[in-house]
Amino acid sequence: MIKVTNLFKAVPVGGETLEILRGISFEIKSGDSAAIVGVSGSGKSTLLGLLAGLDQASGGDVIIDGVSLAGLDEDSRAALRAEKVGFVFQSFQLLPALTALENVMLPLELAGANGAEQQATTFLNKVGLGERLAHYPATLSGGEQQRVAIARAFAAQPALLFADEPTGNLDGETAEKIIDLLFSLNASAGTTLILVTHDQRLAARCQRRFAMESGRLSEIS
Amino acid sequence: MNSWLLLRRDWRGGELGILLLAATLAVTVVVGMSAFVASLQATLTDESKRFLAADRVVVSGVSVSTAWRDRALDDALATTVTLAFPSMAVTAEDDFHLVSVKAVESGYPLRGDLLISDAPYGPISQADRVPSPGEIWLAPRLYALLGVSNGDPLWIGDAKLTVAGVVRREPDATSGTYGYGPRVLMNLADIDATGVVQPGSRVSWRLLLSGSADSLDRFSQWVTPQLEQGQRLLGTDDDQPRLGRTLERAEGFLLIAGSLGVVLAAAAIALSARRFATRHIDPVAIMKSLGATRSRISRLYGGSLMLVGAFGSALGCVLGWLVGYFFLTLFAEELGVTSPTVSIEPFVIGGVTALVCLGFFAWPPLTRLSAIPPLRVLRSDISLDGGHSSMDYLMGGCAVILLMWWYSGDLRLTFAVVMGLLVVVLAGGGFALLLLSGGRRIGSAAGSVWRFSLAGLQRRRRSSALQMVIFAIAIMLMLLLIMIRGALVEQWQAQLPPGTPNHYVLNIAPEEQAELTAFFDRYQITRQPQFPMTRGRVVTVDDAALAEYGTESEGPRQREANLTYAQHLPEDNVVTDGEWWDAGSQHFEVSLEEEFAERLGATIGSRLGLRIGAEEIEVVVTSIRQVDWQSLKPNFFVILPPAVLAPFPKTYFTSFFLPETDKGRLNDLVKMFPTFTVIELDIIVTEIRQIINRVGQAIEVVLGVILLAGALVLIAGVRASIDARVSESALLRAMGARKQLILGAIALEFSVLGALAGTMAVAGAELAAWGLQTHVLDLSYQPTFWLWPLGVIVGVLLIASLGLWSCRHVVSTPPLVVLREL
Ligand SMILES: Nc1ncnc2c1ncn2[C@@H]1O[C@H](COP(=O)(O)OP(=O)(O)OP(=O)(O)O)[C@@H](O)[C@H]1O
Ligand SMILES: [Mg+2]
Repeated sequence: MIKVTNLFKAVPVGGETLEILRGISFEIKSGDSAAIVGVSGSGKSTLLGLLAGLDQASGGDVIIDGVSLAGLDEDSRAALRAEKVGFVFQSFQLLPALTALENVMLPLELAGANGAEQQATTFLNKVGLGERLAHYPATLSGGEQQRVAIARAFAAQPALLFADEPTGNLDGETAEKIIDLLFSLNASAGTTLILVTHDQRLAARCQRRFAMESGRLSEIS
Repeated sequence: MNSWLLLRRDWRGGELGILLLAATLAVTVVVGMSAFVASLQATLTDESKRFLAADRVVVSGVSVSTAWRDRALDDALATTVTLAFPSMAVTAEDDFHLVSVKAVESGYPLRGDLLISDAPYGPISQADRVPSPGEIWLAPRLYALLGVSNGDPLWIGDAKLTVAGVVRREPDATSGTYGYGPRVLMNLADIDATGVVQPGSRVSWRLLLSGSADSLDRFSQWVTPQLEQGQRLLGTDDDQPRLGRTLERAEGFLLIAGSLGVVLAAAAIALSARRFATRHIDPVAIMKSLGATRSRISRLYGGSLMLVGAFGSALGCVLGWLVGYFFLTLFAEELGVTSPTVSIEPFVIGGVTALVCLGFFAWPPLTRLSAIPPLRVLRSDISLDGGHSSMDYLMGGCAVILLMWWYSGDLRLTFAVVMGLLVVVLAGGGFALLLLSGGRRIGSAAGSVWRFSLAGLQRRRRSSALQMVIFAIAIMLMLLLIMIRGALVEQWQAQLPPGTPNHYVLNIAPEEQAELTAFFDRYQITRQPQFPMTRGRVVTVDDAALAEYGTESEGPRQREANLTYAQHLPEDNVVTDGEWWDAGSQHFEVSLEEEFAERLGATIGSRLGLRIGAEEIEVVVTSIRQVDWQSLKPNFFVILPPAVLAPFPKTYFTSFFLPETDKGRLNDLVKMFPTFTVIELDIIVTEIRQIINRVGQAIEVVLGVILLAGALVLIAGVRASIDARVSESALLRAMGARKQLILGAIALEFSVLGALAGTMAVAGAELAAWGLQTHVLDLSYQPTFWLWPLGVIVGVLLIASLGLWSCRHVVSTPPLVVLREL
């Protein structure tokens, strides 16, 4: 479960303060999926960063499974991420020096889990890349890279999965496949899914939909 | 996940390879140089020992007390006794000649080699024994002089001995009664039979000692108070060995080279670490977004760095030892080095170097890496905070300076190099920034390739300036070493030019002078002028009587010296204090050699009492001279004006050059002038020449190692900016820019950098070379004008071709592939 209360984010820009998020509150139950839509620059990525504890809010709080992020320092937030949070990015964010397999193994290794290689292989098989374990990201297509990123996100079996425009860099057909993959994994793992998207098809498949408009969030029914 | 895993994966990135190579090179250079220098120093000491044929020697006019010998034996010292005296050698046909007899026991020499041959001038071999009782070994010349051959009898005093071999060289050839005639070597057991050595006869006993430093020191302390008049202990003070300056300079060169190697390796480490950090911003941000804590990242990369350091150090130690060993084998024969000096010190220095270089240059960018906010995965504009990097470099610079100082043990050396570097860094950096910001106007007026490249340089103004400074440092250090090597080799060649005198003649009576000149002319022998020489003794300084030698007292002792007179300052001598007298001076004045004056405690204005024969005169010191002892030309401690010294009885002294093929001429000379004393230095001159050649070779190899280090820095420097350039170029190509335009722009960018770096490098190198040559190596300095255009051209060619080579795949692969790999 993730609960957001009156979240503010302001950054100083050239002597002035730019208010990016202006009091956001919502709650999403475990296993639910939610989509956040909105125009470019409205603050979606900023919100996602705060939800995942990648950044610190200027006001308000994010509570993940009863733990308040406001009370945690950077390292504790990192530990929380290692345990509970997975990520899928628009630009994939794979390590170029690691093979597909090693990229998927990375969060498992960081968490010190046993059997990292086996688990990573399993998930790469699930995303249909069982044949390309030893390939480097540069030799994979965009869709394939995003599948590796999804395998990486699910391999650590997070309670929460954030995706920032996961299909933003992909063509329609590939995007469709990625969306299917996301939701089927979500269904089997019971992960809470929060994603930012411009893609209407993707938003439509989520149980809940939010619209971001100049720093404020409202639910679309 | 551990550091080892990270290391293995990062290895594929390539930056670690350069980091490892740089660390290995730093350690190799430092360990190799200092191991070699340590052995060289040991050899230097050995070298001085070799001229003693022992570690310590007690010289005595009377037979050395057996109690002394027993005491030495008790302390596990090796001992042997020699006795030297002049005597007549007489043949069965009653031919005779004055010879320098040296009687030895088995065990002689304790240090150095005794060289012999079967036939006069035959192939030389190393003796493993001394003459047996009843045998006598002769200097080659004596065979012809006396008309004897092996097996013939020869009488020394009453003892009838058998000619049994040729003595070619003894390590302590110049000791004792050297110079009274050609050497003969016999066994000490036959001395009683000669009946020559009577109480009061002029002989020189020597007790030779060798063994551990502790035992030697104990013996020295024990024996010193017991020394009587006419007895001396040798080997405690460092008698300047003949090769001293040559080897010292070589040592200095190696230390300079090593220090430069450290600076270069540090620069390579700094550059590759910087690139490593820049390229790891994204991976670290991703790992942090996946839940890695800051300390985890620090530990991972710290561990990885430590592994690189440990591996590099270990590899460097092995390689360094091999390099040191290689140098040593080059020298082993000439210098009589039997085994390399094994000590832990070079390895400690190497390890500390690796630690300092990695700690100050590689660690700071890596720690900053751990501070990358994980938000970077969402916002790519977040980057490494570079604000502290100049502080890092400053601290690192200080650390390297301290390292250089510790390593060379020479403040002036360090200072000279640092001054040169400062010129490059400050002047060069500022100049580069200025030029790069001013170039915009020039650029916009020029063609498109120019505009492109200048715009590129300006956009990266700060990193371009840094890059230029690094290039300049690398080129400067390489040039510096080339210059110093040139100066050294030149000096060594000047020191022993072809025709360097290799024989000295003493005891030339005034009436024989013309005859000797005629002799030289007849055989076209090159020689030095003849110097008048009078034996004298300094007995008082400013009315204070000096103690006699061998007496127990502090302070300066009486000094016996060869006095000469001269109207003009001898060639090669330099007056360091006071003034040389006007020609025709009638004053009772004297000019002293620097060190001689110092030992006497005499300065300008001191009054010296000189005893010459039975007379005593008083003279005032009016000049102090520096003398070139390396030249092997006749030199004098004490010179007086002709008006003062000429009235005293005198003999003459000269030196001449005899090529090996004409060695037989010496017999003609000795037969013609039986009263002359001839000192043969030909073997020593040949030997010095050989060693100088070897040192020259070693220096070439060292230069090679340093040039490699320099090349590494250049490569690391070029690669440092490749990433940005590659992505820009790929974009430009994607947008339709022609290959030539891109290649041209890259070549031009690097050429501009290279030209600037070359100019700065030459300026810095000249400054540092001046400092090193005049203040450290004791060499003269001349600006090398040809270096200026050369430095610039080399800078341009080297940097531009390295740059093009590193960027080659930008234009040879489709832009899409390049863009994808980014
Ligand atoms: N640290 C910061 N400093 C300055 N401005 C910031 C900072 N973080 C965010 N912004 C600004 O806040 C606004 C919201 O940014 P954000 O990335 O959240 O938008 P977004 O909704 O994700 O847009 P897009 O759909 O284009 O990804 C932008 O105008 C951005 O420039
Ligand atoms: Mg966004």
